[in-house]
Amino acid sequence: MSQSLRPYLQAVRSSLTAALTISNFASQTSERHNCPEIEANSSPEILLNPLHISRNENEKVKIEPSYNSVRISIRIKQADEIEHILVHKFTRFLTQRAESFFILRRKPVEGYDISFLITNFHTEKMLTHKLIDFVIEFMEEVDKEISEMKLFLNARARFVAESFLTPFD
Amino acid sequence: MSQINYRTINVDALDPESSTNFPMESLLPATLPQAASASDAANAATQVRQMLRGGDPEGALRTVLDTAPLGGDDRAKEVHLATVIDVLQGIRQGEMTRILEGVCSGDGGAERADCLMKYLYKGMSSAAPGGGAQTPKKVVSPQNTGFSQIQARNLAEGGGGQQMSVLLSWHEKLVEIAGTGSIVRVMTDRRTV
Repeated sequence: MSQSLRPYLQAVRSSLTAALTISNFASQTSERHNCPEIEANSSPEILLNPLHISRNENEKVKIEPSYNSVRISIRIKQADEIEHILVHKFTRFLTQRAESFFILRRKPVEGYDISFLITNFHTEKMLTHKLIDFVIEFMEEVDKEISEMKLFLNARARFVAESFLTPFD
Repeated sequence: MSQINYRTINVDALDPESSTNFPMESLLPATLPQAASASDAANAATQVRQMLRGGDPEGALRTVLDTAPLGGDDRAKEVHLATVIDVLQGIRQGEMTRILEGVCSGDGGAERADCLMKYLYKGMSSAAPGGGAQTPKKVVSPQNTGFSQIQARNLAEGGGGQQMSVLLSWHEKLVEIAGTGSIVRVMTDRRTV
């Protein structure tokens, strides 16, 4: 398990280190505006080649770099329907509170579960290596969290079923 | 004309001077090798496979990276990608570092390293052959209400996990040798593989 997780996270880390070399860049289309180019999509030469890192079909990361912003989309492992629901609820909980996470994107990119948008203002205010650590830690924790929630849910379901069926015993 | 809401028209797209219409061809260098066709790529593939079978994995990797169809069409690129992945999978874990050091040194070694990095990312972006390609199928519950957990155990581990782990370990080794700069060159280089 962790045998293949380590090179995966290592690859994400080195790719993020490379992608997060971003700097300020004013909009070329509207004067006195400054927006993340990866979202505005106003000039094709500013967008760089996207990088994909995948561990298997169900776990992958897409990094879309541009001159002044980077969009990181993560697909979280979902082995069955319960995990699918748990991941959906979990990411919904987080994205509704996107304001307090600063780098979280309100809506994930198509085909992924959660997206982060890091702009040059974030890297100026925060330490870049800490941001990378945060993303890596998030990826590590979310798997654990989901499987923990699934176990807890199963235990509770069993308990509920038992106490429900006791009178019929 | 009156039916069209003029406020929704993207006027930038109509302006030839606008940055939206940046000529992307101008970013490609003039010294790009001429376009390779799918049959050229297939020829290179047979040659490389022969080298691999003949017990020369280092030479095979060197050749496959030198003959990358940077200016080719999509079909040629796909064929070449399959060849590169075959070569990478044909090299044993223990030999990786030694072969990589050999390939990334000497004349044009840095270019070969960048080229390999491009192929690693491209290999991970495309779905695995055989297992992948189709969209993940919808799991059907036996009852029409509720959901079942009775299904294939290794759903998450399957689907090209083997190929990905090979690519990931190559990626790790290559970053050790070529550094982060190689990834930056993959992002910025418009000559995609």
